[in-house]
Amino acid sequence: MLKIEKLSVSYGSLRALTGVDLEVGGDGVFHGVIGPNGAGKSTLLDAICGRRRPTSGIVRYRDEDITRRSVTWRRRHGMARSFQRTSIFQDLTIREQLELVAQHLGDDRLDDVVEVMDLGAYLNQRAGRIAYGVQRRVDVALALIGRPRLLLMDEPGAGLSAAETLRLFQHVRDLVRERGIAAIVVEHDVDAVFACCSTVTVLDLGRHLATGTPEAIRADHRVIAAYLGTAA
Amino acid sequence: MPPRDASRQKSAAVIALLIANSLALASLLIMLSSGLALIYGLRDVINFGHGAIYMLGAYIGYTIALVGGFWLALFLVPILLALLGIVFEYLALRPLQRRTHIEVALVTLGLGIILGQIIIFFYGGEARSVDAPKILSGSITVLNLSYPVYRLFLIVMGLGSCALLALWLRCTPSGLYVRAVSQDPSVARMMGINADRLSLLVTSLSTAFAGIAGVLAGPYLSIDPGMDITMIVNCLIIVVIGGTGSIGGAIVAALLFGLVQVAGSVFLPNLASLVPYILLMIVLLIAPGGIGRGRVLS
Amino acid sequence: MTGDLQRTATGAPGGQLSRISLVLSGGAIALVAGALVPTYLAGDFVLRLGSEGLLLGMLALSVAFMMNQAGLVALGAASIYGGAGYLFAIGMSDGGLTPAVALCVGFLVIVAYAAVLGALIVRTNPLAFMMLTLAAGEMISHAVLLEGLRDYTGGADGLVVRMNGSILGIDVAEFADPARFWSLAWIVTVLVGLAFWSLGRSRLGAILRAVRENEERMRFSGFNTFVPRLVAYVLVNAVAAIAGFLHVLNAGFVSPESLGLSVSTNALVAALMGGIAGSLGPILGGLIFSFAQDEFGARGLTQLLTGVAIVLFIVVFPRGVVGGVSSALRRFGSRREMS
Repeated sequence: MLKIEKLSVSYGSLRALTGVDLEVGGDGVFHGVIGPNGAGKSTLLDAICGRRRPTSGIVRYRDEDITRRSVTWRRRHGMARSFQRTSIFQDLTIREQLELVAQHLGDDRLDDVVEVMDLGAYLNQRAGRIAYGVQRRVDVALALIGRPRLLLMDEPGAGLSAAETLRLFQHVRDLVRERGIAAIVVEHDVDAVFACCSTVTVLDLGRHLATGTPEAIRADHRVIAAYLGTAA
Repeated sequence: MPPRDASRQKSAAVIALLIANSLALASLLIMLSSGLALIYGLRDVINFGHGAIYMLGAYIGYTIALVGGFWLALFLVPILLALLGIVFEYLALRPLQRRTHIEVALVTLGLGIILGQIIIFFYGGEARSVDAPKILSGSITVLNLSYPVYRLFLIVMGLGSCALLALWLRCTPSGLYVRAVSQDPSVARMMGINADRLSLLVTSLSTAFAGIAGVLAGPYLSIDPGMDITMIVNCLIIVVIGGTGSIGGAIVAALLFGLVQVAGSVFLPNLASLVPYILLMIVLLIAPGGIGRGRVLS
Repeated sequence: MTGDLQRTATGAPGGQLSRISLVLSGGAIALVAGALVPTYLAGDFVLRLGSEGLLLGMLALSVAFMMNQAGLVALGAASIYGGAGYLFAIGMSDGGLTPAVALCVGFLVIVAYAAVLGALIVRTNPLAFMMLTLAAGEMISHAVLLEGLRDYTGGADGLVVRMNGSILGIDVAEFADPARFWSLAWIVTVLVGLAFWSLGRSRLGAILRAVRENEERMRFSGFNTFVPRLVAYVLVNAVAAIAGFLHVLNAGFVSPESLGLSVSTNALVAALMGGIAGSLGPILGGLIFSFAQDEFGARGLTQLLTGVAIVLFIVVFPRGVVGGVSSALRRFGSRREMS
């Protein structure tokens, strides 16, 4: 589904990502990306979804080189993204914004999304007036419209409690399995990632450190060192 | 002298004259647009009344010069206009901090219109001219070329203000903060910097320099009721070309503008007034974000 | 929360339909009544002021639509308004075109200009957009005053239009008649107002407002955020052109003043005074401005008051007259409900 080859992203003289390789398969894969602060996790997501142009490297989506494709193109072809800092439409009601996007992407099964994200009670309320946790769910819901094939989520648990984050992750895991899609999640809450993801990648200081099952990663001494190193 | 040498000397003279005139014009423009760019970089506010403040400086300078001479005007006007800047900051910019940038920009537009009309009310609608002071009048001859002293003075003032600006931006903590915020508005308030006081400083410096530019413009351009609109449009073009918020970009753009304007009036006299706009359109076509690393694109 | 749900329940299909038919029938009545009644009640002078107010109202509608839906302030409306007049005048005089053809050609030129300019500037952030429209407006002002084009544009003196021929069977001279022009201006303005109103409630309006609020998320939701804004820009300029054509048909001449920045700021003030949300506000604002301007005579004072009005209506009365009245009514209404 997604293959990244030697991806590097620099902001001026700051190298956020250096030579990262990653491969994420299709059906039902729920892939977590973790790493200490400054590891470049968000930058990785930005590069995959087209928000940032990589300095070098290739992004392949379903075997096609999409490195130069626009954000709009990627969304229309099934690559959707949710945001770390909630990015929704404060002045519109939940229903209005979901319908706006659904109509555009030709998705007539909006009820599915509303159900999965548990937004039924809030449909007629202005987004600006609902609780932050619900707003986060709207952010994800917007990404779920149009039956995307690859879901990219940037710290969906930001600002949520551990329990809420875990619940969100479980929702997404079930969704991913049901629909046979793939999801890549960048997240700080390592517990939720280990609990729900099928595979995990660890980044450290812009480089790929390790990829494997949650159990393997948990036991990997390099990963432990990376996390402990930054805490020391 | 053999014909080829003569014509080469002549074209060298033309080019030298062109460059000198461009620098003279650019000096005024730098003083004005860097002030505009600074406020934008720091506060995300475009002061549409900047041209009116320049005009105020010119007219007040004219009056003071009539009474006490050019140098007195050059000394007093920046002080008076800095005070105006402080008033502007406290009465307009601070109270409107919570409003959208468009609303604040519109308010500055309204205030600029009001100021312009007040000036016209007191001074009437004809153009005035100011004489350069004795020391600066006349021309000097350098390398067989005769050039007005006043314009050399302008160039010196322009270079001087550039140097001061660069020094401040690079060598002081407040300058560093302004640069950082200009490049990335999400930079939070840094420790040790009083953002309000800095904003006050930037605003009053901006109006003071607009005043200096106004006084300097007297002997060089004419003082007329339309000068506020002409100048604000010039500054806006420069700030957009330079990348709104990029101070270095504004300076480069001002130089470019000066060159293009002067060259235009020499080589394309029929289109001279349109040349800056053509420059703007070309820059927008090639580099929609402007030249500097500023924030023009949404 | 229940209050919210109840209120949106009336947004159900039945309620929508009756609301639309209410507006349409109200509009039809206003259309006919407004076109005819004043011509019997008011003298020529008042009708002329009123017509000017309507044309200004049309300009204000275009400014208001762009501001309200797209969040963009277009300060160059005068260049289109006056430019339309110039194109018509040049087409008639130098081009020897018939009035109808001159109008069509002028309209196409303006639409093309708006499309090209819009393509360059609509992507910029709202502040830059405001700056650029101001610059573009001044560019046209300078262009008209170019020495080289004096033969075509008449320079600072302006152009008198040689009015002969007819448009759609109406003789061109009729447009100068105050009563008849009022009727025409009224009908066109109301239609334009209705058009903007329905555009605002259409999908384009929804997209524009969403782009205005969160452009990035719209792109990430698969929308092209450039085209809707460009379309809106071309549309509002088309309306400004229509107003400009009406003006020149009535006045019979054009001058650089009609292109000047003051006309653009007048349109802005009219929009702010009336209230930029909706179509009633700008039209009302145009009328108020026109009559107020007559009251305040000397041009200098008008300009000063324009500046004051801009500040006042942004800082103190951001909803304008219509917005203020309607929110007062709503508050009154809800207070009655609660008691």
